[in-house]
Amino acid sequence: MKNKLKFLIKQSLKKKIGTKWFKAVNIILCILIVAMANIDRLITVFGGDFNKDTTVYVKDNVGVYDYLEPLFNETTKTVEDLKNYKVEKTDKSLKELKKNIKDTDNIIVEINSSDTNYISSTITTYDALDTISYQLLSNVLNQTKEAFVIGKLGLTENEIIALKSNIEITKKTTNPDLKDNAKAKDIISSGLIILFIVPFFIFITLLVQMLGAEINEEKSTKSMEIIISNVPPKYHFIAKISASSLFVIIQGALLFSYTILAMLVRNLIGGLFGSGIVSSNVSKYLKDIINLLKDSGIIDLLIKGLPFIILLFIVNILAYAIIAGVLASMTTNIEDYQQLQSPIMIIMMMGYFIAIMASTFDGSIFIKIVSFIPLLSALVAPVIYLLGQTTIIELIISLIICMITVAILYIYGLKIYKVGILNYSSSNLWKKILKSLKEK
Amino acid sequence: MLKVENVTKYYDDNLAVDNLSFEVNDGEIFGLLGVNGAGKTTTFRMILGLIDKNKGNITLDGKKIDYSITDQIGFLTEERSLMLKLTVKEQAIYYGTLKGMKEKDILKKLDYYLEKFKISEYKNRKIKELSKGNQQKIQFICAIINDPKLLILDEPFSGLDPLNVEDFMKVIREFRDKGTSIIFSSHRMEHVELFCEKLVILVKGKSVLSGSLKDIKKNYQKKNIIIDASVDENILRSLKGVEEVNKVSNEFIVKIKSDKYIKTVFDYVKECDNVLKFSVEDASLNEIFVETVGGLYEE
Repeated sequence: MKNKLKFLIKQSLKKKIGTKWFKAVNIILCILIVAMANIDRLITVFGGDFNKDTTVYVKDNVGVYDYLEPLFNETTKTVEDLKNYKVEKTDKSLKELKKNIKDTDNIIVEINSSDTNYISSTITTYDALDTISYQLLSNVLNQTKEAFVIGKLGLTENEIIALKSNIEITKKTTNPDLKDNAKAKDIISSGLIILFIVPFFIFITLLVQMLGAEINEEKSTKSMEIIISNVPPKYHFIAKISASSLFVIIQGALLFSYTILAMLVRNLIGGLFGSGIVSSNVSKYLKDIINLLKDSGIIDLLIKGLPFIILLFIVNILAYAIIAGVLASMTTNIEDYQQLQSPIMIIMMMGYFIAIMASTFDGSIFIKIVSFIPLLSALVAPVIYLLGQTTIIELIISLIICMITVAILYIYGLKIYKVGILNYSSSNLWKKILKSLKEK
Repeated sequence: MLKVENVTKYYDDNLAVDNLSFEVNDGEIFGLLGVNGAGKTTTFRMILGLIDKNKGNITLDGKKIDYSITDQIGFLTEERSLMLKLTVKEQAIYYGTLKGMKEKDILKKLDYYLEKFKISEYKNRKIKELSKGNQQKIQFICAIINDPKLLILDEPFSGLDPLNVEDFMKVIREFRDKGTSIIFSSHRMEHVELFCEKLVILVKGKSVLSGSLKDIKKNYQKKNIIIDASVDENILRSLKGVEEVNKVSNEFIVKIKSDKYIKTVFDYVKECDNVLKFSVEDASLNEIFVETVGGLYEE
């Protein structure tokens, strides 16, 4: 009989992942994720105005060009997106230069001395100055000023290095479980919810719909009678739950692998954090997030709690699968099932919104209680754990409660399922269900 | 041997099967007849263990039917119990594996039966692409692919043309000859009459007529007399014991209340001219069915 169970699981899974649609969707997902993770590179590859050669004409009225030129060339050489920038000293009049830059991306930089700030600069362009050019010139001019002043002061090399280095800042917290950080909370409530909760939400929706469609198809074609005459309903139930849950886990793992692939591709085509101006903005953001998560202790919390979070996800998936299976067995067609599944969707929506609100209502007892409620716990418990509102013990308690619930749901769900899968009439449905629950 | 003893089934307060008993010996074809809702499908479902009975026993070769012996049973449902998105091959593997068969054996059997039913070219076609008749053939093949000891056929001939009915009957007879106990239901009495040895007629879940087809027909009082002669139809109708007279082509079919009135009719016909035929026949199963079920059904 175990072979038959394995066969049923295999068949059910094959129905979901053996289709050309599953393959097509996954290829599209993989391409999209890799593309999204490398969107800055894509923008660069396809080119545009920013790709045209740009000459920066420097009208130096102070005598800092000797400092500026090497700094400019150094920056444009190391930053991929700036390789089309050239610098040129000019003695031409501003009027003539303005004529020269008409309908071009070329830039005039006029450097004058300043009483309060050593040097000042006027940048003239035909069209509005773009952000990349502004950042480049701003950096180079600041560095030029710095070099000019340091040169004037006659500092030693070590003094110059010490002057330029960042100040060391050590952050300390006293709570052993939590390293509070408001910005990190924002990242969790916005970023991590999108990363973890939204896929979970989508997967459960898929699971509920697939399970319902499959059971209803078997019921409506009466193939259920052939199956159940050979395999006990218990095995059929287990096969459906297992196959659907496995599908969700496989799809989740595939998405995770696409993300890893996207990161590898990113790393391969120019380093994980990139060197271009566009890339460096993305990279800076990524680095900031990682540092923020590290500093706030969220990474540590995630590492400690990850096995339990994964288990909590799996057990909740099982709970949803059992409920969906039982509901599908009770209905006689897919239309009835679609109506019956809406409470599941509402429960998930509740969990989703509570998870979003968790960072706003820090320490809310209501949200804490919700994190223990099965079906909602997968959405809420990990978020409030990572926000530091609950401890790992409370996360484990959520997991245990959910496991117990799954066991109870399975025992009573199976009783309904046994009766439901061979029931083709909706009359006296609730009476039949109540009767089946009373049976030993 | 399948043994059904005093089986009763209630759906809530509705009595679906009432104290039903019958036996199907090895190598015997048994007909379970009745109008829609008479309890035929419920009886099949109880035999297969799909639903629990309220009372009684069902055994196959003396053993209670449970999942340890369902691999020895073949079942063809009244509706198409096929997964339309699967191919014929996938469907056969699906049901065959659930019968505990190995894929290699399933495919061997499948090829054999596809050849037999002249539909080998559909092996890799999706079920939904097949005609109703071919779908029924696939369903039938799936029911017999495991060489069952007990074969349950719920309306096996629905959707089939006469040639295909003949092919089905041939295979069913082959199974009978191999010693399979076969129980089937049908609304088509001519099919039942053709190869059924024993039967039970159900009305509202209760057996109203049972036994061997031969005995049932023999014991049925009413007879049909087929006459080909120059007779006066009105005189025929007026004879004692005559219930009905129908003219089909040149022949008169005279239904009489019992065989004791044969002589009355014969005495009249022998006086008529051009007597070419005077034949006494048992009533058809259809007539017996209508007569037996009709009155009770209306009650």
